[in-house]
Amino acid sequence: MIDNFSLALTHGLMLLVAWRLIFRDDLDRESDPEPDPEPKGWGRKPPRDA
Amino acid sequence: MIPNLTPSQRAGAGNRPAMHDLALIGFLLALMGVGFRRPFVFVLGYVYIDNVSPQRLSYYLLNSVPVSLIFVALAVGAWALVDDKRDSRFAPRQALLLLLLIYCGVTTTQADFPLDAANKWSWVWKALAFAIFLPLTLRTRLRFESLGLFMVLSAAAIIIVGGIKTVVSGGGYGSLNLMVTNNTGLYESSIISTVAIAIIPLILYLRKHNTVFPTDWRVNLFAFALIFACALIPIGTEARTGLVCIGALLVLALRFAKRRFLYVGVLAAAALIAVPLLPSSFTNRMDTIKSYKADQSASTRLAVWAWTWEYAKDHPFGGGFDAYRQNKLRMELQEITEDGSTRNIETTVTTDAARAYHSSYFEMLGEQGFPGLVLWLLIHGLGVIRMEILYRRYRNRPADKDQWIGALASALQQAHIVYLVGALFVGIAYQPFVYLLVGMQIGLDTYAGRRAAEAAWRPLGGVQASAS
Repeated sequence: MIDNFSLALTHGLMLLVAWRLIFRDDLDRESDPEPDPEPKGWGRKPPRDA
Repeated sequence: MIPNLTPSQRAGAGNRPAMHDLALIGFLLALMGVGFRRPFVFVLGYVYIDNVSPQRLSYYLLNSVPVSLIFVALAVGAWALVDDKRDSRFAPRQALLLLLLIYCGVTTTQADFPLDAANKWSWVWKALAFAIFLPLTLRTRLRFESLGLFMVLSAAAIIIVGGIKTVVSGGGYGSLNLMVTNNTGLYESSIISTVAIAIIPLILYLRKHNTVFPTDWRVNLFAFALIFACALIPIGTEARTGLVCIGALLVLALRFAKRRFLYVGVLAAAALIAVPLLPSSFTNRMDTIKSYKADQSASTRLAVWAWTWEYAKDHPFGGGFDAYRQNKLRMELQEITEDGSTRNIETTVTTDAARAYHSSYFEMLGEQGFPGLVLWLLIHGLGVIRMEILYRRYRNRPADKDQWIGALASALQQAHIVYLVGALFVGIAYQPFVYLLVGMQIGLDTYAGRRAAEAAWRPLGGVQASAS
């Protein structure tokens, strides 16, 4: 009884997570971060992979 | 995996086993179905199987199917075939994990007990390999959230059972029935005690920051009820390690308490109220933490650790998995009895052999020698340090500018420290759940690094330089 309650509750919630993920495009692709507003300090070098 | 059911249990359960099995199979098929639409769900499915082992809960249908293998093949296959790999990075800690994996593989071929070592290797390599793979898939915030939810909810399947049974029956060391009786994986009492306490920071993080279930009264109710159940697990299982873990977590929480004196006062008051309510078998057992000299389990630990240290001096590269099987220990137990004014110290000598390490640190030292211990300490120590760096970098960001990264880093760090404290007294150096945490940390680190690089302000010259 206790076992089944716990299994049903947690498995139900996991299914709900999976179900909601179907409708979330940001699972696979998210928008680029907003660029930093201003350079941090003078003469700061660009990041290495720039 | 073979289920531990007696024939009478099977017969007495009537039609329920079939229903039970069908429900578990339905659940896995549903996950698989979603996986073909959203391949990351295969990763979540594997995480679930790794933690809950549904094949062990199953009566007859699932335990003949290699569900774990199917899901890991789908997860890796889907990642290799369809997932975007431009954002995947290989981090230094993944290299350390790979090095440890290779090193363990080599010691397994040289092991003192080849058969036992091969047996342990058969699951250790999977935990390490998955921790190396997992960060490659963690490319978006939602993936971190859904991974966290699956880790917490799958552990909750066991924790809720343990919590309710503790309230109803009071539990008992080795007698709390957590659905599966073969005492392995998360179902082992010391391990579930450590994990239950370690995930509390993660539950608190998800309560506040996850976007799958935005915070409302239902999320709050579930989160706090689950935390209560987590705190009950060390009481129900009477694993002393769990109590030490709770202590570690309460000390860590001091850092975030706004009114520290009030926090300490409330804790002391709560303890005063709680102690009389605890089952007496629990308080008796916890008392043995003080009187460890008279307690065989604690004395055995000290003796095993001394043995391991001597062994490592002779075998600096370790004896391979399960090298402890060769130990022979002789312990002196002291019992002090007071009779009026005289104080009697009674010493009894006991012997023991093939005692497990009862500490992850000595487990690493005895099995993998000094190089293995150093690698292991680096993997875990660097995790704690990197999460601290991320926490400090992101904690003061506005909520819409990746503040969650700092909060998650802090939660993962606390979980990790609780584990490292619990690991002092339990041999759980390769607990797969912990390597999910490690994988998540590495993923968060590379994710934050990539986002920061993408957001960084670039002077025009920099852009031109990259174009040329």
